Amino acid sequence: MKHKSLEDLLKTAGNPVAMLRNSQIGAYVYPVVPGEFSNWRDEQAAWQKTAVLFDQSHHMVEQYVEGKDALKLFSWLGTNSFASFPVNRAKQLAPCSYGGHVIGDGILFHLEQNKLVFVGRAPAANWIEYHAQTGDWKVKTRKDDRSPGNPKGRAVARRNYRFQIQGPNATQVIEKLNRGPLPEIKFFNMGHIRIGKRKVRALRHGMAGAPGLEIWGPYAEREEIRAAIVEAGREFGLKEVGARAYATNTLESGWIPSPLPAIYTGEKMKDYRKWLPAASYEGTGSIGGSFNSSSIEDYYMTPYELGYGPFVKFDHDFIGREALEKKAVKPHRRKVTLAWNADDVIKAWRSMLEPGDPYKYVDLPLSNYTSASYDKLMKGGRQVGLSMFAGYSYNERSMLSLGVVDPDIALGDQVTLLWGEEGGGSKKTTVERHKQIEIRAVVSPAPYAKQARTSYAEGWRTKATA
Amino acid sequence: MKSLEDVIQAAAAKGQSAVDLLRNSQTGPNVYPGVPPEFTNWHDEQQAWQKTCVLFNLSFHMADLRVEGRDAVKLLSHLGINSFKNVPLDRAKQFVPCSHDGHVIGDVILFPLAADRFNLVGRIPALNWVQFHANSGGYDVRLELDERSAARKDPFNRKSYRFQIQGPAAMKVMEKVLGKPPPQIKFFHLCGMTIAGRQVGGLRHGMVGQPGFELFGPYAEGEAVREAIVRAGEEFGLRLVGGRAYSSNTLESGWIPSPLPAVYSGEKMKPYRQWLGADSYEARASIGGSFVSKKIEDYYLTPWDMGYGTFIDFDHDFVGREALQRMAKGPHRKKVTLALDEADVLRALGSQLEKGERAKFIEFPSAVYSMHPFDKVAARGKTVGVSTWIGYSSNERKMLTLAVLEPGHAEPGTEVTFVWGEENGGTSKPTVERHRQVEMKAIVSPVPYVEAVRKTYTDAGWRKAPVP
Repeated sequence: MKHKSLEDLLKTAGNPVAMLRNSQIGAYVYPVVPGEFSNWRDEQAAWQKTAVLFDQSHHMVEQYVEGKDALKLFSWLGTNSFASFPVNRAKQLAPCSYGGHVIGDGILFHLEQNKLVFVGRAPAANWIEYHAQTGDWKVKTRKDDRSPGNPKGRAVARRNYRFQIQGPNATQVIEKLNRGPLPEIKFFNMGHIRIGKRKVRALRHGMAGAPGLEIWGPYAEREEIRAAIVEAGREFGLKEVGARAYATNTLESGWIPSPLPAIYTGEKMKDYRKWLPAASYEGTGSIGGSFNSSSIEDYYMTPYELGYGPFVKFDHDFIGREALEKKAVKPHRRKVTLAWNADDVIKAWRSMLEPGDPYKYVDLPLSNYTSASYDKLMKGGRQVGLSMFAGYSYNERSMLSLGVVDPDIALGDQVTLLWGEEGGGSKKTTVERHKQIEIRAVVSPAPYAKQARTSYAEGWRTKATA
Repeated sequence: MKSLEDVIQAAAAKGQSAVDLLRNSQTGPNVYPGVPPEFTNWHDEQQAWQKTCVLFNLSFHMADLRVEGRDAVKLLSHLGINSFKNVPLDRAKQFVPCSHDGHVIGDVILFPLAADRFNLVGRIPALNWVQFHANSGGYDVRLELDERSAARKDPFNRKSYRFQIQGPAAMKVMEKVLGKPPPQIKFFHLCGMTIAGRQVGGLRHGMVGQPGFELFGPYAEGEAVREAIVRAGEEFGLRLVGGRAYSSNTLESGWIPSPLPAVYSGEKMKPYRQWLGADSYEARASIGGSFVSKKIEDYYLTPWDMGYGTFIDFDHDFVGREALQRMAKGPHRKKVTLALDEADVLRALGSQLEKGERAKFIEFPSAVYSMHPFDKVAARGKTVGVSTWIGYSSNERKMLTLAVLEPGHAEPGTEVTFVWGEENGGTSKPTVERHRQVEMKAIVSPVPYVEAVRKTYTDAGWRKAPVP
């Protein structure tokens, strides 16, 4: 029998919203890396106070594209300008559907002449692979999939290890490793550093203003490189970050990792859905939360909403251009951080110690229970946005979530986040029977900054809560 | 440094006691390996062991020691507080070796395989103790150790798989997967079965008053057996239990998993400490919590503390016999469950959202942050016992701990104070963030919590009304 495609699956599943809301895939796992190296509180604190080592070797897909037309292909898929994208440069790539909605995003590395790799969640990688294989491009592809969520004791092998050294002391750690000053690499440019006897490829990256590096190399060398970084970092308070804290760093840096890929509808996307296997991320992933629309398109996001507006350049032809040209001139929802009300969070926890159905559990530090979270934000009885990634920041002493709000919602406004699913919850395995709870939240900047704490000094976040 | 004794002496030279050493162990989180944190979600996984049934995977976190030979019984009898006069082949027993001073070294399950062949399964300290005596005591036995996953280079190459099927529907699932009613045998009796065409060893077990089975066989056959059980269990609501929920099940069943091996002191124990490696479990173990004493002996537990007083049989000579005879007349501390006060738990949890120094984070569902938790339990400012395990039960809607209390404070209904977190901001264990200690009210409750509560109290009982 021919392999079932996503399109086949959707034909039998009916409404894709119902299918994805009741997905049986389970938690979106950050695999292989231990949950905690020390404890997630200190691991979170270290990226603001000292330095951290993120191990990104396992949770992302690497999609390689090589050949004469590689750049042309990416230019056709990317909303970004490719007018100047030389070797040793990287960029955030957020390919869109024909309708101008985001399919996924990640980082595109220009490794060598005619050789690029995209690193990120599966949906954008699949979209790239599809076009490379089915279009009239002179390119070859190679995919290195993410590690299995539950390896059950089987050995895991990736093509590359991938680490990040971040935090205010990252420079000192890197200089010690490099046995010399931090190489002059501009943001999102690539260079090399020395680690032990190896010359290692590095991308200049950074979090919260402090410079950092992403480094990668053959997977077999990972433990040697890791050991060198940990050793060099000891005197600078470097901590290895486990899987539990890792996923929450974005709450402070403001990147929304999990928009639903905008591929479930549209005649022009049908061939893609026929190409995508039913067992793909797109066919098995889950959506969850209080936002439950019968139209899957209500879950799609534009690049403007996710904060990628400045990257959209109409200097080239690309999929989605026409639609985005129309959208560009209209007002957009925009990305914000929501700072949750402490009393309301405690109310949710309290319900676990009382009889009756509890509120949906607010797990720490990462509170998502689905591959793509969509919780309603309300103000004055009207829906004003969506919350899309939630968790706790030990640094900010607050539950935070990232989301999008309507243009008329201002920083400092109080909105209500509806936490949990209706009717006791969907059939997702990660969902225990529960009640929904309204959680007040203050609309705050993304990335969430110290400014938020100071400018809202009169607000609830500075008051004692218990 | 080669031995545990070297490690202790080196610390002593720096002015550190064994207590300092263990309370500041740098070993890090004690991972429950081999299974994902959650198969579905820990709430439902916990509820399944009371409402439907669960499959626990115990294949990775315990060590196995095979003891075989002419002197096997002699060796085990010399170390166990239990009688070995009559060791029927169809019955397992809890094997509890003690130190010369009568303190518990460990607590494992002994499976007889033949008249002169036994398998011991559990945490490693008891197995180390058996190995030491086998090697140094001139016994005619052969040993084969199969270490837990965390302590081996090939973590998933165990000799045996080990599952438990527990919960009210466990026997229905067994009947379905066996194609006939499961063997009608008594608690802790052994039998053989066939599942998915494989020979499977069975130990009649149980939890919260419901019969269950522990199942074991060659590691390579584990997946096929597991899949067959999972398939059979589907219609009965069977859930696989992940690492997060697993270690909290003992809060409801009342077994203390973590006595500190009583090996760190005493001249008579010195040869053993010299035999134990500097990287042994004992040398790397961690103690955590609010109970602080300079004397490591204050962390040792007696068999009575753990509820094993009735196992002690003075019909044979064994290590610790004299000391236990002296202790026998009591008074003994008593194992209890503590139910923590809701408002106090919430205050500690809520501190995560406040300015100022926060309480030690309360992890859900298991709030354990060391290999050997020891939290102070006090009454009117005086220490009256220690709490040894802590976590949340979604079934009981409570934070529960397993504690050992002085008899005057161990009556169900008594209010005591549970001290959460470590002194002075916390020790240097990697699992400990800076925090402040907090006190919580706690109600002394029976152990096991659930079963006893069900029998003794009606729905209108003390769990809903204020405690008299």
